[in-house]
Amino acid sequence: MSIPALRIAGLQKSFGKPVITGLDLTVGAGQLYALLGPNGAGKTTTLRMAVGLTEPDAGEIEIFGIDARRRPQEAKAITAWLPDEPMLYDKLTPAEYLGFVAGLWRIPPDQAAPEAERLLRWLELWEVRDTRCEGFSRGMQQKVALAGALIHDPQLLILDEPLTGLDAAMARSVKDALRAAVDAGKTVIVTTHILEVAERLADRIGIIAGGRLLAEGTLEELRALAGAEDMTLEDTFIRLTSRA
Amino acid sequence: MIGWAMRRLPPGGLAWLTLHELRGNLRAAGGGRTRWIVGGLVLLGYTGLGIFFSTMLADTPIRGGPIAWLAVLTASLLLFTFMITQSLLAAQRTLYEAGDLDLLFSAPLDPRTVVSAKLLGIAGGVMLTFSLFLLPILVPVAAFGHPGLLGAVALLVALALTAACIGLGVTLALARTAGPRAARTVGQILAALAGASFFLVTQIFNQEHENRQSGLSLLFETMRTRGYGNGAIGSLPGRAAFGEPLAILLLFGGAALLFALTGWAMRHLFLQSYRAGGTRPASKRAAKGGIARHFQQGLFATIFAKELRLLLRDPALVFQMLLRIVYLAPILLVAFRDGRALPLAPTLAFTSVVIAGQLVSSLAWLAASAEDAPDLLKVAPVAKDDLDFAKLLAAMALAAPLGLLLPIAIAFQTILGALVALVFTAGAGAAVGYLEVAHAQPAPRSTFQRRQRGGGIVRNLFEFLIALILGLVAGVLVYLV
Repeated sequence: MSIPALRIAGLQKSFGKPVITGLDLTVGAGQLYALLGPNGAGKTTTLRMAVGLTEPDAGEIEIFGIDARRRPQEAKAITAWLPDEPMLYDKLTPAEYLGFVAGLWRIPPDQAAPEAERLLRWLELWEVRDTRCEGFSRGMQQKVALAGALIHDPQLLILDEPLTGLDAAMARSVKDALRAAVDAGKTVIVTTHILEVAERLADRIGIIAGGRLLAEGTLEELRALAGAEDMTLEDTFIRLTSRA
Repeated sequence: MIGWAMRRLPPGGLAWLTLHELRGNLRAAGGGRTRWIVGGLVLLGYTGLGIFFSTMLADTPIRGGPIAWLAVLTASLLLFTFMITQSLLAAQRTLYEAGDLDLLFSAPLDPRTVVSAKLLGIAGGVMLTFSLFLLPILVPVAAFGHPGLLGAVALLVALALTAACIGLGVTLALARTAGPRAARTVGQILAALAGASFFLVTQIFNQEHENRQSGLSLLFETMRTRGYGNGAIGSLPGRAAFGEPLAILLLFGGAALLFALTGWAMRHLFLQSYRAGGTRPASKRAAKGGIARHFQQGLFATIFAKELRLLLRDPALVFQMLLRIVYLAPILLVAFRDGRALPLAPTLAFTSVVIAGQLVSSLAWLAASAEDAPDLLKVAPVAKDDLDFAKLLAAMALAAPLGLLLPIAIAFQTILGALVALVFTAGAGAAVGYLEVAHAQPAPRSTFQRRQRGGGIVRNLFEFLIALILGLVAGVLVYLV
């Protein structure tokens, strides 16, 4: 049995009141996994704990078998995190930003520079590579951040609402890129409010509410759980979350 | 209190909008409940002091006169420079950072009302700040037998209104002539200069006249000997502060007229600047070939390149840091003055250490706390200690060109002394830089103006003390060698 890309067990987090209450989640390697849930369900908190931004109160987190709480640097080296608010420096250009991120992940310059050029061209940022990010639209900023997330060739990509602010064409490109990454053997975990994205892209879907995993499986498995074979994901989602 | 008043005013009117602005200004000042409680207690104590003074002075006649008028003029000049600084920064916040202009200009309101409320909000914020210092003493003293002193409130209002007009006028004129981005930078530099102007001018006077008076008393003396403060215009603030109705009318009326004219004249410019600021076009640079030059080998080189770029692209920040060093200029001037009491090389060594402490402290704070993407650093596979060390080294490397200047100058007198100065300069930089990096509280660089630098006055004082002690030791050692 292959090592899961992400394994979470008994995860707990409280911010005054409990937010995550004993969450168990396993995401197999090479999957595109969509994590869905109503607002305040704990999706972002879960993912922030997975990438080491928030310290859990209790529980285990493993990334490709690496204990992310005990050996965070090893886990981070193979993980990329793309939040809905791009982690950018206004006064750096896209090329400089990628240089900085590559430096943090200690990618040798002779390896990082060609990859940066490929990403910038693919994301249609090549012409603005020497323009500071401060005047960029939200979509452009999101693209720069995406390039930053991909520059170190992560094994696990964790993306929080990655399509926020992107135009239709770019959203399609990003979806294609995520699918291509999975086809190339990477694992992608996304949260999204756009259920159509999860329905069309995801191999497996997890529904989280009230700080725990309500249901998990393929779309067909979720439909079966909800008790109707011909439902859309939206109807399935509403039926499952309303039971919680 | 403000919410209570707003509920009783017609929504969308000038008074209602002005109160909304004031509420925003108060909340922008930040602080939790504890801070408000402590502030309230301090204010209460300060008012108690005012009441104590009022009982002491109740039967003492307080009258205006040439000396008193001159004192008021001197104090007004000092206050006015600070007010201009505050209003310049407030105007920038209003135009570029408040984020409510879209809402206000898309609402069914007369744009003139919005501009006037913004202007009143700036003036109100300035007034509020200085009222806290002045009124707890002034009002009790005026209430117990000296009602004429309430004229000082009118003077304060007049100064604040004028400062607000200047602040907004300068910001808008800059935006018009140089564009929104340059206006922000130049505005911040002007604000810092205005704040420092009084200090710098008095220091220059001090050096010219070789006396050791405080800046305020020196300015007072200079104006007295030149006959300022007695003329019709020079005595106006003093006469108003002591309750002469005509002076109050002239000052307050003049300021109100200036305010009305500014509101009327600036409406168009304000809308134009807002629209230009809203789009904020990026300075699109021509792409310049390959990108390999942007990739560095190793963590330190990566951090250094990033910090250097961010610093060079923020001239206002660089200027503010250099200004901190300018404040130390009197130490150097003492060393270079004719007939100096202090030997040159030890004084330079002391100065070098203190300046390095200030400079590295600022740079380390910028590198560690003015961080736009703290989460990026947290998710990177780099130990926090390594990152902190790289940031500290970067801060020291950025300060090195300036930090080397004085040890090189000392080397012309004594090589060993220069080495001692160099070691202590680096040591002071490392010590204060470490403190800054270790206690960093990352937040976006764009919030720099609103933040208390370094996270607290105690740490800043402690760092200054460390630099001072190391500077003294360096000075003594250089003297001995």
